[in-house]
Amino acid sequence: MPQTEALARLAERVARQVRWRRAEYHALRGLFYGAVGATLVLLLKTPFGSVALPAAGGLVLLGLLAGGVWGLVQRVPTEDAARLADGAFELQDRVATALEWARRPDRTPLVDALIADAIAHVEALAPRRIVRRLVPREVRWLPLPVLVGLALAVSPPLPMPSGRLPDFLTSTDSPETKERGELAMMEQDRRLIPKDALKRPAMEERDFNQRGGTGASPTAGDLSAIFKDTSLGNQRPDFNSFLKKGDERLKLLEQVDRLPDLQSDFTQSQYKMVFRKSKALTGGLRPDQISPQKLRELLEEMERLGRKGGANWSGDAMEGMDALEGGQPDKALEAMEKALNKMRAMEEQGRGGKNLRGGRERSSAQNRDRGRGAGAGADEQDFGEGEGFLPGKGKSASPKGDPSQRLRASPYDVGVEGESRQGKKDGYDTNMTGRGGKMGSRLSYLGVIGQYRKMMEDAITREQVPRDYHTQIKDYFQALDER
Amino acid sequence: MTQEARVREFVAAFERLRAEVEKVIVGHRDIINHVLIGMFAGGHVLLEGAPGLGKTLLIKTLAEGLELSFSRIQFTPDLMPADIIGTNIILEDAEGRKHFQFQPGPIFGHILLADEINRATPKTQSALLEGMQEGSVTVAGASRPLPAPFFVLATQNPIEMEGTYPLPEAQLDRFMFKLRVRYPAMEELNAIIERTTQVHPVAVEQVMTGPAVMGFRELIREVPLASHVRDFASTIVMATHPDWEGSPEISRRFVRYGASPRGAQALVLGAKVLALSQGRYNVSADDIRALTAPALRHRVILNFEGEAEAIDTDTLVTEIVDKAQERMTAGREAFLR
Repeated sequence: MPQTEALARLAERVARQVRWRRAEYHALRGLFYGAVGATLVLLLKTPFGSVALPAAGGLVLLGLLAGGVWGLVQRVPTEDAARLADGAFELQDRVATALEWARRPDRTPLVDALIADAIAHVEALAPRRIVRRLVPREVRWLPLPVLVGLALAVSPPLPMPSGRLPDFLTSTDSPETKERGELAMMEQDRRLIPKDALKRPAMEERDFNQRGGTGASPTAGDLSAIFKDTSLGNQRPDFNSFLKKGDERLKLLEQVDRLPDLQSDFTQSQYKMVFRKSKALTGGLRPDQISPQKLRELLEEMERLGRKGGANWSGDAMEGMDALEGGQPDKALEAMEKALNKMRAMEEQGRGGKNLRGGRERSSAQNRDRGRGAGAGADEQDFGEGEGFLPGKGKSASPKGDPSQRLRASPYDVGVEGESRQGKKDGYDTNMTGRGGKMGSRLSYLGVIGQYRKMMEDAITREQVPRDYHTQIKDYFQALDER
Repeated sequence: MTQEARVREFVAAFERLRAEVEKVIVGHRDIINHVLIGMFAGGHVLLEGAPGLGKTLLIKTLAEGLELSFSRIQFTPDLMPADIIGTNIILEDAEGRKHFQFQPGPIFGHILLADEINRATPKTQSALLEGMQEGSVTVAGASRPLPAPFFVLATQNPIEMEGTYPLPEAQLDRFMFKLRVRYPAMEELNAIIERTTQVHPVAVEQVMTGPAVMGFRELIREVPLASHVRDFASTIVMATHPDWEGSPEISRRFVRYGASPRGAQALVLGAKVLALSQGRYNVSADDIRALTAPALRHRVILNFEGEAEAIDTDTLVTEIVDKAQERMTAGREAFLR
């Protein structure tokens, strides 16, 4: 409509301003996102190679241009532009109303006057920019990708993770791989060193002398001797776990009559000496792993002792030496075992008792015997070769032997108590309390320890013992061996 | 006569009439403007204010400035509808035959001053309803048109004063504007004293006839209204409704009933008069904004919470206008706001 050309021109001028401002706005946004993209490209400089820098620059430029073009091509409605002009030039909606009513068919006579009035006002206007510049929020963060991008541009490429698993199928190892493998093995060896450091000296080199006590004279039933000279002696006992239901150690402690009486000194006996030497020689080794020379020396010593004392094991020792000569170490070992058993039986006979019971128990047994009248008690029976008061080996129908009178009387009559011991090395003494604590052992330590060790190994194998206790239990028995 | 000439004539007439009123009334320029706008828009105006503020004088002066008949009704509690509308009386002719003859009430005038309208009972107040809306009254089954232009100017005291009957909402809606007459400033009070205590009273000239007023009314309706300005007015009126989805929180909380479509008509018509009185040929959003309070303050009915909180309807309407303005620009691109 020719009448409103001036008004339309004004609206178009305003629309152009809006488009330019839009272009600036979106160009800045595009610049920001382009810079972010360029930073990512520069971060991945390694795969991009030499293209990284031009690509980054291209992204920045692309963002800038794309934003600007997007802002320019966006349409600005004429009504909006006219309204904007009205507001900016304080035309009181003259332009917008005139442009709208000029197109309407129901225009009133006053509309012409309105258009003329609007044109007069518009022509009197001094052209100026009325659309304010807006800065997008992203621009606040623009320096960040720019600076990071610049830093990445001048810095060397960042090492990238390969993201692949090692190829185990390839047999041909490169020298570098071999070197890496050797290094790994060395590293593994280094890790094994602490284990070696813990490795115990050979049994032959060990000092079998009786270790000194704490100074306090042990009382009957005092089990501190069991613990205080072992590696467990320095550890604080965990009584909660100790008293757990079904704990095998607790059951063992309840059977105090089956625990060895460690208060007696066996080191002076010939049997003990030979036994220790045999244990040191054979401990944990297969027959073919045992040194024939040392085995021969031991058998010779046993034979010599037998001959000196007129004992009946010298024959077994001789048989062993013959078997050794014949290259049969297993038979030699069997012969040695037989000789040892006979030595032990003679030793026990020589001590005048069938076991290692203390005096009190002997007296109580005597009292019982007196109560029952004459005749030997079950405890006083003699043992044959290879027998002893061992679980399952006695005359009792029970494989573990007769239950003690004490346990039958009151199963709660036994307790375990402990107290910390201050000294050169802090330790913990464990004592039996109640009647059981006052009673001596009825079993010989050396007679049962092997059995207990076997029970321990079975229990561990059958997983009756929690795995966490395995090491502790093995250490305990190992410590007993050292005694 | 060209349109520009017609508009110039209207502007001149408007200015002259206002000048005549201002000869007597000191200050209250906005009140005078709004009264004149209401009259040219064909509406009725309710003036509310304390006694002695010049409400009646303003209307009397306006009536004196126009060559129109003027009636005044002093509303009292014992005033009856027939006292306003008129009644049939029995007349006896020369032959001795009696017949009924309608005796028109004071409503049959161009300008009706309903002084202290809230002192009459609602029944009497409602006698004005038909005349104000339809421009006619029905008496004894016969509809009688009122003279044109018909213009009711009512005054009332604040409703909290004793011995008053608040106008029903239906009647309030008939008034195009409700104007609040406030106390004059010190300078204005001094001028009032000077003018009203002299020996020679001020004479007011008649500057406009009834047909001229009617002609101006037609011209006013020709003033174009842009769609976005119309939308702004509609948004304001809708925003006074608490149930409307776009209502501001203040409407939802304090308003029981919003403005009627008659309120929107009053708003736009008044804006047209205002624009034309300023020599403009179009209505602007500023015209709408300037007249929202007089056009809507008596059409917005507060709820209990609004009454209890003593919410001022002018404040409420102002906030509604601001929210409507925000709503109009909401979602629009920042460059185009």
